[in-house]
Amino acid sequence: MRRRRLVPYGLLGPGLLWLAVFFVVPMFFMGIVSLESGSLSEGFALTWEFSNFGDSLSSFDTQFLRSFLYAGAATVLCLLIAYPLAYAIAFRGGRYKNALLLAVIAPFFTTYLIRTIAWQTILADQSPAVDVLQFVGLVADDGRVLDTAGSVIAGLTYNFLPFMILPIYASLEGIDKRLIEASKDLYASARSSFWRVTLPLSAPGVIAGTLLTFIPAVGDYINAEFLGGPGQAMIGNVIQSQYLVIKDYPVAAALSFVLMGVILLAVLAYIRFAGSESLMGEEAK
Amino acid sequence: MRRTMTVALVGLVLSFVLAACGSDLGGGGRDGEVETAEAEGEAGGDLFVSNWPFYIDKETLPTFEDESGVSVTYREDVDDNNVIFTKLQPLLQDGESGGRDIIVVTDWMAKKMYDLGYLQEFDQEAVAPAKENLTESLQSPNFDPERAYSLPWQSGLTGLVVNTAEAPDVDSISDIFDPKYKGRVTVLTELRDTVPLVMKSMGVDPTDATGEDWMAAIDKLREAVDSGQLRDFTGNSYTNSLARGDAAIAIGWSGDAVQLQADDPDIEFVNPEEGCILWSDNMVIPVGAPNPTAAYEFMNYVYEPQNQAQIADYNFYVTPVAGVQEILDSQGSEAAGSELVFPSEDYTADCVTQPEPPEDAAEEIEQEFQSLITGGG
Repeated sequence: MRRRRLVPYGLLGPGLLWLAVFFVVPMFFMGIVSLESGSLSEGFALTWEFSNFGDSLSSFDTQFLRSFLYAGAATVLCLLIAYPLAYAIAFRGGRYKNALLLAVIAPFFTTYLIRTIAWQTILADQSPAVDVLQFVGLVADDGRVLDTAGSVIAGLTYNFLPFMILPIYASLEGIDKRLIEASKDLYASARSSFWRVTLPLSAPGVIAGTLLTFIPAVGDYINAEFLGGPGQAMIGNVIQSQYLVIKDYPVAAALSFVLMGVILLAVLAYIRFAGSESLMGEEAK
Repeated sequence: MRRTMTVALVGLVLSFVLAACGSDLGGGGRDGEVETAEAEGEAGGDLFVSNWPFYIDKETLPTFEDESGVSVTYREDVDDNNVIFTKLQPLLQDGESGGRDIIVVTDWMAKKMYDLGYLQEFDQEAVAPAKENLTESLQSPNFDPERAYSLPWQSGLTGLVVNTAEAPDVDSISDIFDPKYKGRVTVLTELRDTVPLVMKSMGVDPTDATGEDWMAAIDKLREAVDSGQLRDFTGNSYTNSLARGDAAIAIGWSGDAVQLQADDPDIEFVNPEEGCILWSDNMVIPVGAPNPTAAYEFMNYVYEPQNQAQIADYNFYVTPVAGVQEILDSQGSEAAGSELVFPSEDYTADCVTQPEPPEDAAEEIEQEFQSLITGGG
């Protein structure tokens, strides 16, 4: 009996140990660094410099705001692209279902970095893609796509799309088809059966997908680095430059904490607003 | 069982905490004398060199190993002065170099590392054969007038790299601000390359510029960013923008232009009429280097004109060794006739060695430039 009670802890062990060593401990050090002051040549000393947090937020508010805007736009775009796609695979995929899913994750076989750099070529000023966009009038004739907000958001959308598709697919796939049939038996139109049965049942997938897309996108710096110019720098680029170029480790650490805090608040608000009810249904009320 | 695990976890966390208390980041400043890396006896054993990519041909190392009996680990792990510094700093702080005997860094970074006490001075007797062949113009740079702790690997010019098919008449730095090329101009993320060139275009001599002069040049760049004139700040990747045709003019490095020309003959290095920036990447010996004797052997080897000719013929940067031009000429190499490998005094008359921002304003200038690159207001 006693042994059985220990089993859950044993199962939790490896994960806890991993998180303790590679998450909790580094966080602790980063917390200490963020409260230090000084410079590389004179040395950093722990002076409980709480103003680092306020300063980092106020000096880089533009980039914070920009990161949330870009990540938000990318998340919305991902959702608009991913939901119909996941729906088609789950309900109309038939025997091609597995092949289609493979196509969704196929880009992962090439590294993230290479794919992003490839977008530089795809969106280059004289590329066919940009010619087409100019022809249909989406881009001004003397305009460009690369090194604009558009290219950074497009890159984020592309890179995080599978993280949106897969959870939505999984929750659509899990829907009991008899419920949809039942709604039709009760004279629901196709539209109202979608809005009142399918969509609510797939909400957990939508929420998981938006979180999996939004959170890493806010902190991303690769897309802004390769597809953006100086006017598109995100908060990740600022942290990189504070840490590697200016070598102000306390400010870089404080920025990371502020970012973490802001994301946490945003996510909590989001889950409270949209999450609990659709995740847990009636029980949450 | 459960208690054992909790105890183990707490112990683990505590040991990390204790380890952290012992090794704070930063806190340099040279205290006491700089060590000299003494040579001892015959060279042998292992040698670990950290250098920039595309800086050495394929023959030099094997031949050196055969002749000296030293076994070389040559790693191309330096591609940005700031990044390699940040990577090695915690080690150097503790007097370790991660096994490295030679690191190659640019002038200003060599000085910075020296000032922080991260470098050793050379054993002048051991390095004498190499210094004998050091070209005269590089013998006493401002940052290390005696060449006490640095020896150039290669030098180069920073100027304009231009696609002449699209921007045919570029001859001045001011051309990067010409509205004709709006959105087709990139400049380097290297503060000490980009800002001094802009100062030159404003008629300021960067070698004795004040903090305000630096800030004024950064302001001028900021206006160009805001108006959309400047497309991006880049490291080496400006070569891709030029090759794709996104950029028509870039502030860039001489050796890159030669390598790009191989693919696209329209791409050229333009030494602007205001002059260029001269810099060197230097071999330095970090604290804790395990085998300085072999390091000197290697320096002396690459400074033999015959051996240096092979390296210069490969990378097309400015060679710091005297007597190489004659050798390349007799071998019929086209490097012999290139102003980029052997710039004449005329060619570099208006050029200056890479200047440092004035010390009292350096931090502010660096912050301002970085805030410009990362899109701050």
